[in-house]
Amino acid sequence: MQLLIGLLAVFLSGWTACAAAAGPATSSHGGEAGAHAGHHGLPPAPVTVFHLGPLPVTNSMVVTWIAAAGLIVFARRALRRIEAVPRGAQNFWEWLVESLYDFLEGVIGRDLVRKTFWFFATIFIFILFTNWISLFPGVGTIGWGVQTEHGFRLVKPLFRGGNADLNMTAAMAMIFFAFWTVWAFQANGAKGVFLHIFGPKGESAGLMRLMMIVVFFAVGILEVISILFRPVSLSFRLYGNIFAGENLLETMATMIQEPAWAKAVFSVLLPIPFYFMELLVGLVQALVFMLLTAVFTMLICTHEEGAGGGHGH
Amino acid sequence: METSVLFASIASDLGQMARDTALTFGLDLPHFIAQCISFGIVAFALYKFAYQPILTVLEERRERIAESLRNAEQIKQELARAEAQAKEILAQAGVQAGKLVEEARQAAARLREQETQKAIAAAEDIIAKAREAAAQDHARMLAELKREIGRLVVQTTVTVTGKVLTPEDQRRLAEETARQLATR
Repeated sequence: MQLLIGLLAVFLSGWTACAAAAGPATSSHGGEAGAHAGHHGLPPAPVTVFHLGPLPVTNSMVVTWIAAAGLIVFARRALRRIEAVPRGAQNFWEWLVESLYDFLEGVIGRDLVRKTFWFFATIFIFILFTNWISLFPGVGTIGWGVQTEHGFRLVKPLFRGGNADLNMTAAMAMIFFAFWTVWAFQANGAKGVFLHIFGPKGESAGLMRLMMIVVFFAVGILEVISILFRPVSLSFRLYGNIFAGENLLETMATMIQEPAWAKAVFSVLLPIPFYFMELLVGLVQALVFMLLTAVFTMLICTHEEGAGGGHGH
Repeated sequence: METSVLFASIASDLGQMARDTALTFGLDLPHFIAQCISFGIVAFALYKFAYQPILTVLEERRERIAESLRNAEQIKQELARAEAQAKEILAQAGVQAGKLVEEARQAAARLREQETQKAIAAAEDIIAKAREAAAQDHARMLAELKREIGRLVVQTTVTVTGKVLTPEDQRRLAEETARQLATR
């Protein structure tokens, strides 16, 4: 209950802050665009909002750090004194962690989940938390702008969806790729990994065996290319979905421009159904990222029984 | 030669494409590393503050539940054993009580018989004594009666005859009367 009240409070404060910072023309997510006619939507790259020493900090990094800090503080506060009979936030964390653990155990097996749970759970929780926190009013609407003849135009938003930044999604994908490689070598050894990718599958002998070796070596090359492209597909899938979601919300908020009363009403009402859809998209994308990375790991770490079992890539 | 030039051209095009893509989407090394560090910190913090303590607690709780279930099963078995023992003891007690009741009945019957016999013997004794006493009384009464009759005979004879009888006559007459009474 306290959590719900807290979330509501943050939501409302975000809403009012958004209105305060952006003025009357920016009362909802993406509302800044409604102040001008020549709107081009969300830029594909995040914008640098300030510098932290030599590091230029982008608006998506701000949201990512807020999400990260929020998660860490929430976990720390909820689990500082763990009680035998859980209640409140501890109950929530226990439910989340246990559900994820059981789910992943069903997907990748008991042994592998012990070693890799921390990564997949973090992937899911962090992506989900970042996706949902990026839906708060104020993300994309609070920031620096200019007054044009069509009204206020936001040019440098302070906040941007954390996963609407290819650096974030690519970072997670590359970290996964690095750990995937480590886990693959730990599970199979160098020879095992090589055979897993290039080795012939199925029972054969003589000339047929020789042909199978050649064929599966060629398949292995394709497999390597597919493995190398996994980080690209993972990062662009997540980025694309979240970036598209933010653009969709912004488009819905700015769709009705005339008359003024309709603009005021529909800039609030039209995005609402899409907020629910984006809540779902945020959950689905977190689940997809976690599931794909888990399945990729399971496929390379699973030992084949004999030479007959294909690894099903 | 031409093939190598073609590959080099393709590689160059791909490289340019990658650079354009990175530029379009704002992908650069400092931000990429910063996000890697952010994710790493979150992963470490969640592992330290959430996964590790929760999984430990869940494991402990699982063990405690398993132990409780084992204890419950043990208690159930012990209860069943105790119930069986209680039933057995009750059955034994029932048998023993039956035996005791039967023994008590037999003892009571024996006692009753003994007492009855004693009572009968006492009654018979009393009857015999009564009979004996009655016989003695009868004999004494007869003897007294004989003596009285003898005396009456003597007195009657004295009165009728007017003769003074000697003690010898009196004794003889009394004996004669007693003999005649005995024959009747």
